[in-house]
Amino acid sequence: MEAVTATDVGRTYGETVALSGVSLAVSEGEVFALVGPNGAGKTTLVRALTGTTDSEGQVELFGVPPRQVPRERIGLLPQDFGPPDRLTPRELVDYYGGLYDDSLPTGEVLDLVGVADSADSYYENLSGGQQRRTCVATALVNDPDLLVLDEPTTGVDPAGRRRLWSVLEERAAAGTTILLTTHDMAEAERLADRVGFLAGGELVSVDTPARLIARHGGESLLHVEGAIPDGLARDLPFPATVTDGRLTVRDVSPADIADVTAVLEAGDVAYDSLTWREPDLEDVYLELTGQTLSEGGVSG
Amino acid sequence: MTRTGRLLAASRAGWHSFLRRRTAVFFTFFFPAIIVVIFGLLVGTEAAGGGLFAEPPGWYVAGYLAVVVLFTPLSRVGSEVARHRTGSQFEKLATTPLRRWEWLLAQTAVNVVVIGLASLLLVALLVGGTGAQLDWSLELLLVVPFVVTGVVLFCGVGALLGSLADSQDGVIAASNGLAVPLLFLSEAFVTREMLPGWLPVELSPLTYFSRGVRLVTVEEGVEGTLVPTVWPLPDVLAHLAVLGLFAVGCFVVAARTLPRTD
Repeated sequence: MEAVTATDVGRTYGETVALSGVSLAVSEGEVFALVGPNGAGKTTLVRALTGTTDSEGQVELFGVPPRQVPRERIGLLPQDFGPPDRLTPRELVDYYGGLYDDSLPTGEVLDLVGVADSADSYYENLSGGQQRRTCVATALVNDPDLLVLDEPTTGVDPAGRRRLWSVLEERAAAGTTILLTTHDMAEAERLADRVGFLAGGELVSVDTPARLIARHGGESLLHVEGAIPDGLARDLPFPATVTDGRLTVRDVSPADIADVTAVLEAGDVAYDSLTWREPDLEDVYLELTGQTLSEGGVSG
Repeated sequence: MTRTGRLLAASRAGWHSFLRRRTAVFFTFFFPAIIVVIFGLLVGTEAAGGGLFAEPPGWYVAGYLAVVVLFTPLSRVGSEVARHRTGSQFEKLATTPLRRWEWLLAQTAVNVVVIGLASLLLVALLVGGTGAQLDWSLELLLVVPFVVTGVVLFCGVGALLGSLADSQDGVIAASNGLAVPLLFLSEAFVTREMLPGWLPVELSPLTYFSRGVRLVTVEEGVEGTLVPTVWPLPDVLAHLAVLGLFAVGCFVVAARTLPRTD
């Protein structure tokens, strides 16, 4: 059975089209990641799917409209969630847990997300990462069937992020459906069974990370830095180019690297470094969203 | 559990949130105190004399109580709604079993306790500091339902302002813009005789608060008082009923107006 189905979902704010014709289905127990640049419509789609905004089209959670689904089945973390800031993580989890007939023990949830040591400090005095982990705890506390997390690890340090990933993997293994948005491609690649790319309010591609990478990620690349002569590229059994003494070999597997170094040694060519890189979800992101490294603040 | 549990959880969170805002706590109780000091002690009253404060001190007890019942819920609940909107808390709550009216009821319960305590402080200051004479009878307890109903009413109005204003600053400005005229046009401090005859003071719910509280607080036969000498229970209940109707109406409209979506 599908946990989430969206058919031709749209949302406009005045003249601005935030979502247009988005259709997707998330199966029960699946982890689905929504990625896309800022303003792509991820948060609007999360709101449409949870019934916290009015939208066009049809949305169903577990076969019924979002506002009719039993609320104990959903756990939501809004993107810019800011709970009462003079409560402690323990009180916050108690509060949100107290809204349900059944909830997980507060201590257990705080321990899961790694804020047990700060459980009695005011929320406003926690670091950004601890605050975000506390917010995640409020979404977990009712042990929902569908967990909807809008950028759950934003501001969380690497160790905390990995801890949250482990928590989500455990939830998923226990059968919880997880729908999350993220800007962290490593997070999407590690957690998600399928990834949906949103750009300009439209869902431009949905598939498993591996298939997306195979389809849109491009070739693996081997870079050799040094004073590489231009003619060397012709001697290689792979497509290659030399630019300013830098050799770039495309579509090589790790096992092929030895063939390349053999050619370099046969030609008595010295090199400073050798870097092999396979395409990942970030390449898919750049390809599908039409962004480059120099625009949109993707990096550098 | 279920509804009671949800209400308790939300009330507990609201209570702790309030108590830990020291400035808010201080001024919630300082406000009625300073009002009494300024108007009750510094300005004083001149019974049967001219001017604004021409009634006996006890006459103004209803007015002072109106100040705390009016201002505190308006600004507190309005600000709380604004804070909830800023922090996407309503978005989160919309996916929990807590209904919007339950959230507002929990906030109202917190305000009833806070304003109840502030009212006690105010009455103590009035009696001890200004020499106000109250009708110390069992019927004086009827002030309690007036205060509670007034708090429900203005928590509702505050929630409405919080839902309609686009910022916390806007809520405060709107609260003051609404509260000050209400206070002076609802027989809280200004007698009906001092206002133009055409002014429909009966449209203000605070008028029924002022009239009802005055009926049960002012001692009979005090010189210069405008209240009747026979304690009129039906009149008191009539004022309470009208105030209650306003309160229920505002509460329902406010609960329905609270944000559920973005």
